[in-house]
Amino acid sequence: MSSATDTELLALHGLAVKKAGTPAAVAAVIGAEEGEVEAALEAAVAAGRAAGAKGTFMVAPAGREWLDAQYPEAFAGFRADPAATETYERFEKINRELLALFTDWQMIPAAGGERVPNDHSDADYDTGVIDRLGAQHERAERALDSFAALEPRLGLYKERLDEAYDKALAGEVEWVSGARIDSYHTVWFELHEDLLRMLGREREEAP
Amino acid sequence: MTAVADRVVVLDGSSVPDKEVVGNKGRSIAWMLSLGLPVPPALCLPIEECRRFHANGGELDADTWSAVLAGVAGLEERSGRTFGGGERPLLVSVRSGAAVSMPGMMDTVLNLGITEEVEASLARLSGDAAFARQTHCRFVHQFGETVLKAHLDEPAADATPATVRAAVRADTGEEVPTDPHEQLRAVIKTVFGSWSSRRAKAYRKHWGIAEDGGTAVVIQAMAFGNLGEDSGTGVLFSRNPLSGDPEPYGEWLPHGQGEDVVSGTHDPLPLSNLADSMPAAHERLLAAAKLLEREHGDVQDIEFTVERGDLYLLQTRAAKRSPQAAVRAAVDLAEEGAIDRAEALRRVTPEQLATVLAPRVSAAAAAAAEVVARGVAACPGVAGGVAVDDSDAACAADGDVVLTRPTTSPEDVSGMIAARAVVTERGGSTSHAAVVTRALGRPSVVGVGEGVTATLLGAELTVDGSAGVVYRGILATEAVDPASVPGLEKLIEWAREASPVEVVADAGEGSIDPEAVGTSDDVSTPEGARAAIAAGVTSVPKLPGQHEAALLLRFAQEKSNLEHEEESS
Repeated sequence: MSSATDTELLALHGLAVKKAGTPAAVAAVIGAEEGEVEAALEAAVAAGRAAGAKGTFMVAPAGREWLDAQYPEAFAGFRADPAATETYERFEKINRELLALFTDWQMIPAAGGERVPNDHSDADYDTGVIDRLGAQHERAERALDSFAALEPRLGLYKERLDEAYDKALAGEVEWVSGARIDSYHTVWFELHEDLLRMLGREREEAP
Repeated sequence: MTAVADRVVVLDGSSVPDKEVVGNKGRSIAWMLSLGLPVPPALCLPIEECRRFHANGGELDADTWSAVLAGVAGLEERSGRTFGGGERPLLVSVRSGAAVSMPGMMDTVLNLGITEEVEASLARLSGDAAFARQTHCRFVHQFGETVLKAHLDEPAADATPATVRAAVRADTGEEVPTDPHEQLRAVIKTVFGSWSSRRAKAYRKHWGIAEDGGTAVVIQAMAFGNLGEDSGTGVLFSRNPLSGDPEPYGEWLPHGQGEDVVSGTHDPLPLSNLADSMPAAHERLLAAAKLLEREHGDVQDIEFTVERGDLYLLQTRAAKRSPQAAVRAAVDLAEEGAIDRAEALRRVTPEQLATVLAPRVSAAAAAAAEVVARGVAACPGVAGGVAVDDSDAACAADGDVVLTRPTTSPEDVSGMIAARAVVTERGGSTSHAAVVTRALGRPSVVGVGEGVTATLLGAELTVDGSAGVVYRGILATEAVDPASVPGLEKLIEWAREASPVEVVADAGEGSIDPEAVGTSDDVSTPEGARAAIAAGVTSVPKLPGQHEAALLLRFAQEKSNLEHEEESS
């Protein structure tokens, strides 16, 4: 893929996946040098495609349009590859199961079809959900290996998911679906967003 | 040949072995049987056998396998059935059971022993060929997923054992055995093998659990709720888990098999239906619930099956309950003398108490207000603000805003943090918006329908995430009258008596400056409350907008925890 070397495109893409972030955070998503990313983001600011303040950058509306225009060509190879779409189907299946799992983690099924917030007082229940997360994590790793064979950058998500899973396994409950940290759910959604953009697809919400 | 007793423990209630020997599930079955409760016959490969299996290079020892076969023969005798065949077939469940539960262990495989012939017998006995085929499919599916690690879709309605087998083969290249003994052997090996799975090892390392432990295997006869009109399955709560009302509450599915109630695929009937159709089984069930509740000192959630008029208890555990029910059950159990007041105060979390006391939309205001959207109640609570449809606008806004979006993506998280509440057009209780708002504690209503965002933009809204309703305007909320919730006044009174720290309206004299006592911790957290108690603080200011009861309960609990620790050290 010729555009894999196009750091500005990738930096802006990484920024779009995260919405807003520091060069270091974007570098972690796209697997580039922080300095390189910073230079690329500053160039994007100069071109009116991003905005930045105090070392944190955001994609500007013009940057979104520019990205949407670049994607079809930049990821033409990935989009046309049957292995990518096949793996994406597997990813979607894991995604559906993970979403149900996050809900089970937050809200425990109770009588009469109701759910009550999980206060994490039932270790057996939590263990069961963490176990399911482990099973999905192992499936996700296989899917990410397939993606990384086509686009090595995507392999980076494996390490970030691994880190969140390890913390969840160690009883740090907020690492399953916490919204303010790189929890399993946060990283998974960035990965999902990354893939949707690369493949030019829309997010489908479960009914 | 080694005697059965050397390698396998028959669980018949004549003794209650330690959980270090037979694991937590094995112990629970033996204990229920020792109380004289009806539990399907079971046997257990003790934890020692797991060690032997690993010492043996991941193979079952020949003597152990002989003992399993002898044990299964015992189950056949006790149940009057034949494993893997005959006119009255015996199917078994196999479960893992370490002394403590942990992730990574193979959990359960049901319906072992099913074959083409057994499926035909089941169809004849139940008069329900579809049920027999479904049972067979479920077994093949579960074996494929848990033993062969296949990743399968749920079997379709028209699935047959052959199609599920083919799906397993396509995914793994391996076959689900048709021979009942091979099925049993493979599942036992998988349970023992799962002790050293990557996940279980990682978990033990994190928690400092010894590697040389192991798991037991429990093999139990399956009860059938599907054998005619005098059979069925259900769930019984020893008290109502929604209201806490001290009356048993349950669901009953005549002619249903275990998973049918839990999976929600069938509509169960109220328990009164069982009382009408089989009064003896109903009476025995209620007596068992009472006994189990007394023994555990807590509300029980009991899974049961009635097979041809005979009641079997499959599982009992502490019931999940609503915050209201937690308050009422704790107070009632203490008043009945089942637990003391200190224990009653441990049965309710400060979060549950805060939820019960959270201000709600006043009925008068709700009745007068215009409902602009209805959807799935995704995260409980009430909040209001001006509708914005964009994350940037939510972050930039000065006042309170409600973020309304067609759907949310990771880009919207900062906006969701900035907003007081969230509304989405598409998606259900597992959508991104639902997951994130629950993590953030932002009231949300999701799936209100296409196009709503555009019509609401700029309007003042109140989002009731408990009811799934969005109102136009900022609605008045009202405090909850403690007298209106059974048990609540007493619980607050007990918490006040037990708390070493007073919660006062104004930070006056004698109240703390957290910095001054060397802790900047929030006293509403366990750590912060402990630090305040340890520092000898006698009063703290009330948290704005919150009833003081949750804080009093936190202090009462932490004081009791500190006392426990001192006693044990």
